[in-house]
Amino acid sequence: MTLPPDPPGPTGPAHDLPPPGEGGLDAPPSGAAYDLPAPQAVRDQEWHRQSPRMLLVHPVRVLWSMAFPIVIALIGISRSDSSWSIRLLPVLVVAALAAGVLPWFTTRYRFTDTQLQVRKGLLNKSEKTAPLDRVRSVDLESPPLHRVLGLARAKIGTGVDETRVELDGLATADAAQLREYLLLRGAQGRAGSPGTLREAPPEAGMPQGAPEGTAPQTGGPVGLPQEQVLAEIDWSWLRFAPFSLSSLVIVATALGVLFQFGDDFGVLSQDRVTDTYEWVLAQAIIAVVLVGLILVIVGWLVVSTLNYVLQWWNLRLVREPGGTIRLTRGLLTTTSTTVEEARIRGVQLTEPLLLRAVGGGELTSLATGVGSGGTTKLLPPCPRPVAESVGHSVLGAGERLLDPTGAAAHDEGAGPDGTLDGPLTVPVRSHGPAARRRLLFQSLWPTLSLTAIVGGLSWWFSWPWWIVGAVLVATGLLNLGTAELSYRNLGHRLTPEHVVSRSGALQRQRVVLERAGVIGWVVRQSFFQRRRGLADLLATTAAGPEAVTVSNIPLPWAIELAGQTTPTVVDQFRSAGEEP
Amino acid sequence: MSSATGDPALRDPARKVSRRAIGYWTTTALIWEGIFLAILTVVYLVVLPERWWWATAILALAVLGALVEILVVPRFKFAVHRWEVTDTAIYTRSGWLNVEQRIAPLSRVQTVDSEQGAIQRMFGLASITVTTASSAGAIEIKCLDHDEARRVVADLTEITGRDKGDAT
Repeated sequence: MTLPPDPPGPTGPAHDLPPPGEGGLDAPPSGAAYDLPAPQAVRDQEWHRQSPRMLLVHPVRVLWSMAFPIVIALIGISRSDSSWSIRLLPVLVVAALAAGVLPWFTTRYRFTDTQLQVRKGLLNKSEKTAPLDRVRSVDLESPPLHRVLGLARAKIGTGVDETRVELDGLATADAAQLREYLLLRGAQGRAGSPGTLREAPPEAGMPQGAPEGTAPQTGGPVGLPQEQVLAEIDWSWLRFAPFSLSSLVIVATALGVLFQFGDDFGVLSQDRVTDTYEWVLAQAIIAVVLVGLILVIVGWLVVSTLNYVLQWWNLRLVREPGGTIRLTRGLLTTTSTTVEEARIRGVQLTEPLLLRAVGGGELTSLATGVGSGGTTKLLPPCPRPVAESVGHSVLGAGERLLDPTGAAAHDEGAGPDGTLDGPLTVPVRSHGPAARRRLLFQSLWPTLSLTAIVGGLSWWFSWPWWIVGAVLVATGLLNLGTAELSYRNLGHRLTPEHVVSRSGALQRQRVVLERAGVIGWVVRQSFFQRRRGLADLLATTAAGPEAVTVSNIPLPWAIELAGQTTPTVVDQFRSAGEEP
Repeated sequence: MSSATGDPALRDPARKVSRRAIGYWTTTALIWEGIFLAILTVVYLVVLPERWWWATAILALAVLGALVEILVVPRFKFAVHRWEVTDTAIYTRSGWLNVEQRIAPLSRVQTVDSEQGAIQRMFGLASITVTTASSAGAIEIKCLDHDEARRVVADLTEITGRDKGDAT
């Protein structure tokens, strides 16, 4: 079942053709074979324009992008009092408005039986198409102005790559309906063509007809709009906002600004001032620094909290009947991101130092060809147990979807020890004394080179020698401490369905990758690693960061891990042969 | 290489690269080291006519390094570089100080390319690059015999053509 047997509508129009009249009307609604009613735009098969309300959006967008040049021009005009330039300004604005309105007239889209076509451009015409049966993602976005006018923008992705067809200026309700319809149709289209379904290595011998069973299993009876809520925003999480790493950048910028002011104060302290005045000034400077510090902290709290609220307002993470995970969020700009569950290959739990100190974490999904660099933030900084349980439920369904036969009937909730540990909570296996020694020794290099540089400088400028000692001790302790920390965080684990790798020094992360998502192995050994019998093991994958690294793992463990994960591939190259 | 490790280790890939690879690696090393040494010598003779001892020492070290690079490294590489293609997977080992072993199941292979540089052609060699859906997973077999490379590409293309999944 590839396509519903529709009578031939105008599927292949000549390219220079304007909207082809009533051609598609007598064709039966192409949504008839599906359980969801097809939206109007899909049924009538006519060329559509964006909503007329976009006539307001486009000029504002153009004016906004030109705001800076216009302001500059205004300043210039006000200084040079030539009257002709004042008359020129309205002309410019009108031209800008016209340029803004133009896209509305030149952009058209329509749905045929099989594909979505979007035409753009006046002189350079472009036509983009998206085959409806291959739709894999539909993301909706409404910037503030869109929201005021009740509009939304849809981005429709069909392939592994990140090029997407954009459909702007849809009415919000239409966009929502269209999203649901397209995703369902895409899922059914794929279920009907077994060739596009991937197979996991262990079941490589399975007949290709098997995927027939997947479609019903993804979400029970298709068409019943039952969605399962995985997570919703809990405003008590707001307490974690100031501890996330992104706020640190803002604070650093603020500090930089503050130092600028510090320079201004520095002008005051010149040699001419008397001793008493200097003393007063010193107190003043301390006060200024203190006030500045308090300002920075308060500013940090406000900015990071505000940012959190703006981004994560109304967060909802739901599992939809069609086998997709949908994330909606945003206060001013609302976004809706949809990730097909079959493409989620794993999740990552990130705990930056500050966040870890207060028991928080962030959850990211690793998927093939979805999101920026294959990763999508699923949850804001939130309590670690929340991130873990949501992560588990995201992983769990992906698994059942992958393994419709239930042959590997592992309940992911139960760890290999029979405890209630999932891949995000299960204890990892530490990499042992050799790894620790290597990390500690490695940390000596920056210490020694920095000390050597300072030593050279102090010899050249004849600084006192204790400076060298101080540098040696300070950086040495710092680096050794970091190395010890990264050793403690280092570890790996193989659960029934996943490879787990934990790493990081200050920022700890745990990457969980589906076994079936591993598409190759790299065992890397530097000269020094070989001497200690260690290796870096990379499980390559199409999802997320392209590879999951288990670093400084003893070589036999690395081979064991690779062998147990993908025995059919690795075992033939092991010296011990088939032996477990 | 892996003699110091425990029992369940990876064995060596079955096949060596072409013996002519030694000649190829020696030639490229000769060219690059030649250019490098020429520049260094010019600097030594023209820019530093004082013949400071440390400048002489650096030049001597560079010459020594070049000799190792030209005479020893190609043989070392030849001993380390190995490859193997089975019905289900491709397995390679490369490097000389830092050793790297790569395995990819053929069911996940996306493209098979072969390429031949000018100097490689002189020696009748070719390299094969096999890519998967992961940018970290590309596998290169360097310096195969030209005819053998053609055969391997044909085999790989045939085997991977059987699988129709999107290999992710």
